Formats: sequence, C-alpha cells, structure tokens
Amino acid sequence: MSDTTNTNSSGSISTTRRRSSRPRKPKKNMIPIGLAVALVFVIIGILLAQRSAMLGFFWMTGIAFGFVLQRARFCFTASMRDPYLTGGTSLTRAVLIAFALTTIGFAAIKYGYFAKGLPIPGMSYVVPISLATIVGAFMFGIGMVIAGGCASGTLMRVGEGFMMQVLALVFFVVGSLWGAHDFEFWKYFFISKGKAVFLPDVFGWTGAVFVQLLLIAVLYVVALKWEQKKSNE
Amino acid sequence: MKEVVIDSLGEACPIPLVKAQNAMKEMEIGDVLIVQIDHSCAMKNLPEWARKEGHNVEIEEVDDAEWEVIIEKAK
Repeated sequence: MSDTTNTNSSGSISTTRRRSSRPRKPKKNMIPIGLAVALVFVIIGILLAQRSAMLGFFWMTGIAFGFVLQRARFCFTASMRDPYLTGGTSLTRAVLIAFALTTIGFAAIKYGYFAKGLPIPGMSYVVPISLATIVGAFMFGIGMVIAGGCASGTLMRVGEGFMMQVLALVFFVVGSLWGAHDFEFWKYFFISKGKAVFLPDVFGWTGAVFVQLLLIAVLYVVALKWEQKKSNE
Repeated sequence: MKEVVIDSLGEACPIPLVKAQNAMKEMEIGDVLIVQIDHSCAMKNLPEWARKEGHNVEIEEVDDAEWEVIIEKAK
C-alpha cells in the first residue's frame, strides 16, 4: 500500500494496478441497513395510505423517483452543463428521451379527458411565456450550477449525505418561500404580460404531439453531432 | 513521471472536473492525476470526460461514498 507515494518512478501505470494513496477501511455490510430502511419505508407507506390513499401513492412514487435519480446519476444540471464543460451529451439525450416519453404520456392523459368532455387536468401549468421566462431560466441555470444541482438533484444529494447541499437546500427553501410570497407582484407586472400557448389549440392534438416530438428529435440529433464534434477535437 | 493529487472532497459537481481539466493541461504524457471526490455526480462526468479525451481511467471507492479517480495522461 505504500508504493504509490510521489517518489515512485517505476515505469508504466497502465499495466500495473494502482493502489489508493490512502489505506482502505474495511467495508461495512450495508444490506441489513438497507433492508431495515426498506421495512421502515413500507410501514410508513401503509400508515400514510390508511390516512389517505393519495398520500401513500405520493410517498411511493417519491421514493421510486429518488431511487431512479440516484442510481442513474440522472442530473438535469449536468444535462445542460456537460455539453459545454466536457462535450458529453449522454445526459442531455437522456433528458430528451424523458421529455419525448412524457410528451406522449401527458398528451394521452389530457386527450383522454378532452375526448370525454371533461376539464383537462394540469391546465394551470399552461402559463404565459415572455422575456421573464428566459431571464428566469438563465438565473436558475446560474444558480443550479453554483449549487451543484437543480431542485431534484439537490434533494437527492442531501439524501446521499453531501453536506454542502444541505446548505443549498436551506436556501432553496428560503428562495422558494420568498418567491411564493412575492409571486403576485411578478405575476401582475411581468408574467401576465406574455401569451399562454397550449400547443393542441394551435396544431391540433396529433399535430401538437408530432411537432413536439419532431423538435425533441432535432435536439437529439444536434446533441449527438455535438458530442461527435467535441470528441474529434 | 509525476503524480498530482487533487483534494476535491466536499466540492460539488463541476468543481472537481474543472480542477482536473486545468491540472491536466499542465501535465506531461504519462503523468498521473488522482482526484479525490465525494460528490456522486462527479463520479459520472469526470471519468466520462477523461475517457473521451483518451486517457486511462480507474475509479476506486476508498471509503463509503468517497472515490479516487485515477487518470493517466495518455496524449
């Protein structure tokens, strides 16, 4: 364990296996802890479901979403940042695929309600777009790169025990509350100045899905070309 | 042949990568860079970047959620 100090000068590294510069601690077996935590999750899930089925459902989907995010190292921040920083677009393309899937899924849900003549769910999220959207997105972009994660990424890494992002979470909550407090002001003076666009109103249902998938496909190809271009430099 | 160690423990995602990129510019072919990280996100983009650049990369989990990314400059 001591042959990797800075005085070592023995030839090629690629053929000899390198050892860590620090002694390795024996690994604890994490499986009993994992099983215990899973059991606690299930018990809390059952208790929540007894109060309200919806709460239990949110609990399970939240945990499932967090698990996928963590294991997949899925990171919306990296998907926007890495094309510039490393030239890699694997996460960018993963996000685009996720967008394509949700496009189809949400269109199906919304059309289902529409076809039955029921009010379409989620229409409160069709909000005006304006310069405020661009400015806000830009500011959010700066914030998430400094904080090392967007909303879901920060939550996930707090769960991993990364201390710096506990701090980010505190100010994430502060910022959200502050934003919610002044939201009426922003809505009145900036957001309401824009125009809300619901794509099915413009292109029809099939057209909306088609246009959106086409746009995502174009972005996917651009991302792929970008990665190839960057790795040839 | 030189060995450079970057202590990037406690630093969030893009910082270990940017530090590694800057350090690599100063290094000669055959030199080895060891980046110590504990941010899971850097576990993905750091090796991805180094492999794409054509360097030899090895990852070692030194402790629970602490890794060393060992990069040998190949070109």
